[in-house]
Amino acid sequence: MAETETRTEASTTTPESSSSDPRRSVRSLLRATEVDTRLIGLLLGLAAIWIGFNYMSGGTFLSPRNLWNLSVQFAAVATMASGMVLVIVSRNIDLSVGSMLATIATAMALLQSEILPELLGFDHAATWIIALLAGVVLGALIGAFQGVIIAYVGVPAFIVTLGGLLVWRGVAFLMASGRTIAPLDSTFRLIGGGSAGAIGGGWSWFLAGVACVAIIALIVNNRRMRRRYGLKLRPVWAEITVGGILCGAVLIGVGTLNRYYMPESLARSYAESRGIAWPEGGLDIPMGLAYPVLIVIAIALLMTFIANRRRFGRYVYAIGGNPEAAQLAGVNTRWTTVKIFTLMGMLVAVAAAIQSARLNAAVSGMGQLNELYVIAAAVIGGTSLAGGVGTIAGAMLGALVMQSLQSGMVLMGVDAPLQTVVVGIVLVLAVAIDAYYQRRAK
Amino acid sequence: MSRFRYLAWLTVLAMLLAACGGNGDDVGDDAADDAADEAAGDDAGDDAGDEAEGDGPVIGVSWNNFQEERWPTWDEPAIQEALEDFGASYISTDASSSAEQQIEDVQNLITQGAEALIVLAQDGTAILPAVESALEQGIPVIAYDRLIEAEEALYITFDNVEVGRMQAREIYERVPEGNYVFIKGNQADANADFLRSGQAEVLEDAVEAGDIQNVGESYTDNWDPTIAQRNMEQFLTENDNDVDAVVASNDGTAGGVIAALESQGLAGEVPVSGQDADGAALNRVALGTQTVSVWKDARDLGYRAGEAAVLLAEGTALEDIPDSVTFDSPGGNQLTSLLLEPIPITQENLDLVVDAGWISEEELCQGVEPGTVDVCG
Amino acid sequence: MRDVHVSFGGVKAVDGMHLDLYPGEVVALVGGNGAGKTTLIKTLAGAQRMDSGQILMEGEPVTIEGPKDAKEKGIETIYQTLALAENIDAPGNVFLGREVTTRLGNLDEGAMEDRTRAVMKRLNPHFENFAVPVASLSGGQRQSVAIARAVEFNARVLIMDEPTAALGPAESEQVRDLIRRLREEGIGIFLISHDIHDVYDLADRITVMLQGEHVSTVSKKDVTIDQVLAMIILGKRSEDLDESDIASLH
Repeated sequence: MAETETRTEASTTTPESSSSDPRRSVRSLLRATEVDTRLIGLLLGLAAIWIGFNYMSGGTFLSPRNLWNLSVQFAAVATMASGMVLVIVSRNIDLSVGSMLATIATAMALLQSEILPELLGFDHAATWIIALLAGVVLGALIGAFQGVIIAYVGVPAFIVTLGGLLVWRGVAFLMASGRTIAPLDSTFRLIGGGSAGAIGGGWSWFLAGVACVAIIALIVNNRRMRRRYGLKLRPVWAEITVGGILCGAVLIGVGTLNRYYMPESLARSYAESRGIAWPEGGLDIPMGLAYPVLIVIAIALLMTFIANRRRFGRYVYAIGGNPEAAQLAGVNTRWTTVKIFTLMGMLVAVAAAIQSARLNAAVSGMGQLNELYVIAAAVIGGTSLAGGVGTIAGAMLGALVMQSLQSGMVLMGVDAPLQTVVVGIVLVLAVAIDAYYQRRAK
Repeated sequence: MSRFRYLAWLTVLAMLLAACGGNGDDVGDDAADDAADEAAGDDAGDDAGDEAEGDGPVIGVSWNNFQEERWPTWDEPAIQEALEDFGASYISTDASSSAEQQIEDVQNLITQGAEALIVLAQDGTAILPAVESALEQGIPVIAYDRLIEAEEALYITFDNVEVGRMQAREIYERVPEGNYVFIKGNQADANADFLRSGQAEVLEDAVEAGDIQNVGESYTDNWDPTIAQRNMEQFLTENDNDVDAVVASNDGTAGGVIAALESQGLAGEVPVSGQDADGAALNRVALGTQTVSVWKDARDLGYRAGEAAVLLAEGTALEDIPDSVTFDSPGGNQLTSLLLEPIPITQENLDLVVDAGWISEEELCQGVEPGTVDVCG
Repeated sequence: MRDVHVSFGGVKAVDGMHLDLYPGEVVALVGGNGAGKTTLIKTLAGAQRMDSGQILMEGEPVTIEGPKDAKEKGIETIYQTLALAENIDAPGNVFLGREVTTRLGNLDEGAMEDRTRAVMKRLNPHFENFAVPVASLSGGQRQSVAIARAVEFNARVLIMDEPTAALGPAESEQVRDLIRRLREEGIGIFLISHDIHDVYDLADRITVMLQGEHVSTVSKKDVTIDQVLAMIILGKRSEDLDESDIASLH
């Protein structure tokens, strides 16, 4: 999806492209459309990784099926990365997310496989929502608890969450005495994707259409607002280009994922259940977007909205830019910090639901090293550890880069130790390249 | 040990209360930690005081971490049972996962009059000097379940290579030819390679004959099921679902593999191995999505260790311990060992685990359709 | 401000200060480094708690517990550091902590930019960079943003801590112009400055502080620039100054 976006970007002709220097015309296009050049760089990097893996895997990597896998595999880390952006932007860090994930997943699993069945019976219709809500509340409380220690007691976030890293891993173990807790509620499992956890081809196209309409409506609305206040407008061609690219990317993305068809045995039982005769060549029933992917998209939109259009988000960035200034401007910086960590905890709970639903089990070892992958995703996505800078979209792409690397290497038969070596090198390289260009831009 | 789980919940609750109260000190933390410590200490203390009757030798057991469910639930009662049967008495210590603490513990046990030691090592290398000093004092030592590279100590464990053989054997029986995937354990864990070598031994000939193709093999960081799941998904993608059997090294990774198979509608069609006889895994065996889980009955291990400890304390020479064999350790030592045979659990012999009280019928049979498995009715 | 005391540890930073300000008046606060000017003014801005003392507005005692209280009472501050969030654009900084929102509570960026443009037209007509982080602005432009933030909300009292310290001559002149205009609009201004010429040029009254204590408050028209200087350096009240004191300065 993203790869196509970049390709279109580069080949689009612009009114200025009549000038002799093509590089200048690309740059003026970027300026006119006010697109974040950092994101473009990231998209190019991602495209390079995808094309490279696709070449080396003989075309398997960019197959609809693998992209579908990728979309589901990246969901949990991406969910947490969207919260980690705000944490890091506000000059904090959260090292406890991986352990918190294990604790929350264990709590949710115990609730559905041991506590609720006794009260309601196994697989009761309300189980999944009770478990999910309980998990989110638990996440919020854990996050708030850590946030209060950071903001009001004044212990650095690094220390508090380092403690959390140890504490929550231990709590996860103690809660279940180290057992694997399974199986989970069958409705809850849809959160993780799996064989039934996708919305099918028709709904996917419908959502893609809705997304396209929404993109256009947003652009038009934004334009209207700016005109109302008599502010400078982007050129119309730039608006159309941006709208077209975004819309095209959505459609191509959904189209690609929709070409991943149900595995034969699933398709057979699907056909059977609907009384469709099984044809000779088999049935191509698109899986469509998986629930975890929809959840990630919804969270990314929501978090972007919170970061850009709500007071809370503005304060997070202000604190990151200059904590003293934020305080002098009357921002309650401590309470804002508590809210950041609370939100982070809730997102960890969502990730825990995705992760455990996908595995159909909870184990106390879940989410190990996830804190590092989440932080790496945010940082690769352009979030500055010095605070004040970072976008949700960037973190999403960062998570996609990380997951692409890992899945791609498994596909190529690279074994675990070498995988971590490569991921580590890419992390440092990405930030180094970014730092280089930032410095040159100044 | 439901008490520990209760404590954990209490910890969470205490923290939440502290958070709600809005005061930032980690009262909850400390309180819960203390409570946990106390509970662990109590257990160890009580046991130490619990001198069994009889005038046989005193056997000291050094646990590395008594909070892990397995030890107090299965191993300790079995050791105690053996000691009772032979008229010996039991004292114990808990090092709470501290290698340093365990060194002191070993010395303490000797001071308390232990005539033979059973050591579940936190760190097989760090404990070595303490073990050697005990041996020099003429006190026999049993390395319990975890290797200690001391030639004079008796190493008692389940035969991990044999576990690997059993996993491969069960799968091979069902799929004598086809595409195999190998999901191995954590690379840093020596057991991962013992298991793999056992698997290789069984399948060697079929691989050489070309009957079996290895279409995917990977280690699993920290034995993490989610990583096993991701790896399996990639192997399935790479082979376009043309995978006929999966040799997974334990039940956790098997769970990840089966989740991956499930999303392709292949769960139950592709045989998958495992080990540990986890509750969740035995349930999968009953459901038919997992083929085998190799069961290492900790009670067997405990009883045999207790028995051997008494014999050694009474002056039996290492080589004269019944069933002892020589084991070439990774450290190049020739260790006298008791290598216990694990039991592969499949749908056919699930009654073993139920009869042994290892798992309740309810947990085993959750979601199993009546009439498919004998034990589940 | 009545009998204000602030101490850090055992050190008395402000020790029993009185200070008055009337609408449409500029009161300059002068004194050497560490005289307690900034600390005193911070108590008024809500950025520093006072140990004891009172603040009266139009005769009524008011409590100021934080920056927010001060702003609600029409007390605006331009800090020497400018206190800008460098990563946020000009409208975002002007409205920081007092964002304009739509009915649904979303930030109304358009309205904020619109109002920022309006206030900037008054302060610095050449200002055009409304959409870039203030980190990339020049010193004078950043100063404009900080001032815009203070005047946008109809301040009654304006505190300016070294407003010209970081500026070139032309930009300084702009700020001086602005101070005069704001005074005409009836705003009371506290001016802290090391630049004795600025002080003498702009202030209606001058208060001299030394080691946290009030030395003297004089009307500008009653003193010469040399006398002010002597008061700052020698810590004497204007009526205690004699010829030799003035001479000793030269």
